[in-house]
Amino acid sequence: MRLFFSGLRKLVRRPATWVTVGLLIGLLAVIIIAVGATANSRANVTREATAKLLVTFPGAYDRILEFITGLGGLFAVLYGAAIAGSEWSWGTLKSAVARGESRVRYMLISYVSVAVMIGFGLLLTFAVGVVAAIVGAHLANVSTSGLGDSATLSALPERLLKGWFAVVEEGALGFTIATLARSQLAGIGVGIAFYFGEGFASLFLPDIVKYLPFSVANAALATSATSGAAAGGGFGGVTDVLSPDQALVLVGVWLVGALVVAALFSDRAEITG
Amino acid sequence: MSGTGGLALATRGLQKNYGSRRALDGLDLSVPTGVVYGFLGPNGAGKTTTMRVLTGLVHSDGGTVEILGKPMNRGDRHRLFEVGALVESPTFYPYLSARANLRELAASGAHVPSNRIEELLDLVGLCERANDRVQDYSMGMKQRLGIAAALLSDPKLLLLDEPANGLDPAGIVAMRDTLKTLASQGKTVFVSSHLLAEIQVMADMVGIIASGKLVREGPLKELLSMQAVVKVRVQPNQVDAAVATLAGLAPAERLSETDREEGWLAVHIEPDRAEEVSQKLAGAGIYASGMESGTDLEMLFLQLTGGQAATDEGSFVGLGGPDNGSATAGTGAAS
Repeated sequence: MRLFFSGLRKLVRRPATWVTVGLLIGLLAVIIIAVGATANSRANVTREATAKLLVTFPGAYDRILEFITGLGGLFAVLYGAAIAGSEWSWGTLKSAVARGESRVRYMLISYVSVAVMIGFGLLLTFAVGVVAAIVGAHLANVSTSGLGDSATLSALPERLLKGWFAVVEEGALGFTIATLARSQLAGIGVGIAFYFGEGFASLFLPDIVKYLPFSVANAALATSATSGAAAGGGFGGVTDVLSPDQALVLVGVWLVGALVVAALFSDRAEITG
Repeated sequence: MSGTGGLALATRGLQKNYGSRRALDGLDLSVPTGVVYGFLGPNGAGKTTTMRVLTGLVHSDGGTVEILGKPMNRGDRHRLFEVGALVESPTFYPYLSARANLRELAASGAHVPSNRIEELLDLVGLCERANDRVQDYSMGMKQRLGIAAALLSDPKLLLLDEPANGLDPAGIVAMRDTLKTLASQGKTVFVSSHLLAEIQVMADMVGIIASGKLVREGPLKELLSMQAVVKVRVQPNQVDAAVATLAGLAPAERLSETDREEGWLAVHIEPDRAEEVSQKLAGAGIYASGMESGTDLEMLFLQLTGGQAATDEGSFVGLGGPDNGSATAGTGAAS
């Protein structure tokens, strides 16, 4: 447990943690409030209605969560890569191994700490997103009566949990890439390339891409209203998505697979430099 | 492994290859308990690779390692709980303070008592800056923190790779005193360094490695006494007479003519016998115009590692000397 709490302390003090969550929160709040403020000045009724969807509860809960798991997924990749890569770049893994620490335990517990921080970031971002949506609703003269919709609120914990699971899987991908690259920068670069590469590939190979990590993460959260639009990586082009349950299973497979690869690589790697 | 009783660290036939390059070629080290052991070798000789193998950072391709009397095989990471190490440059989270870095490092490996971190910060003189971020530290401060990190678990065996790097003179003296104190407490300190003078004043034993092999190992005093030399300068036309006169002081193989044109002779005897050399020559009517004496680890090191050829001014060719079995070269005058 001391390694786990140490991992949390390191992440809480790490500037990258707050920069990542701050950027996500800032973008989400700005977008929602901007949409709310301009919803009534749209050129036609259809566009106005679409804009107001973002600030109309209870649907706003899902929109916020999808934003977090979408763009937040990319941020999780970068965050996971930064944490794993720095262990190699800064040589801190070397110090722990030289003290007799298990490489596999160290890496896996490091990622458990990351997963906890992702959960914290997700909840914080969601809470700020809800507040921003309320502000946006007022700016757009939309009623917030759906805020306390019992059916939505009762389903919210499960949706948040699935969202966290999906983002954790995406973070694990960045974590593993950076571990294989033994570098923060390389991990972040390759992570971004994967994210957008998967999205781009979804335009041409939707039947394959729907099984890939970013697509399954998005599909796991998709509702009947968003199915097909939310899937895929940076381009979001997959139209033939998996069912949320199927996607959730694959999210688990990708998560476990990524961490197993990271652990095995760390165990066998020669730590030099 | 046999014959390693009483040793804090022993390697037998240790091998490590990086691709086609052989970094360690059957390295045999025997480090007794409670000594400061200087591990010397030229760049690329295999010192850091040895450190990496000993700390489990890289896996050897052959041979055995015993730490504190117990074999350390792949996966025996618990052996390292009683070992402290500083391998290559010290590594920390730059955004954390010294205190926080030590606390987080203490979360890995062996248990660390709660007051240990403050003791170590005090020991390495970082108490006043303990809450500053490590990214703002000088190289010397990072090095001191690295030494503190190596001492976290109060290890029985300390492995330090170039610990004096970046330290100012006061820091070097303090480090030396600390390491000697640790050895006097029964701990074993294994120090890899290229600072021969530093090792000469600090180590009880030395091991010299070249091309991945141990070329000499033993108590420092013993090795230096073999290397002890008194150099004397006479008139060039009196060299033969001087050699004959001094033949009684040292066996023929310990007496060498270093530069006939300049009239330099080297007598491989203890430096405190310099007066005897002078008296003997004077008795034969030969007057020395120059004399130098001393023991020199650098000379021994260069001889054993096939270092710089003796082409510089003031250098001399030693005939015989330590039994490395090769015509050897050394630079510089004895100190």
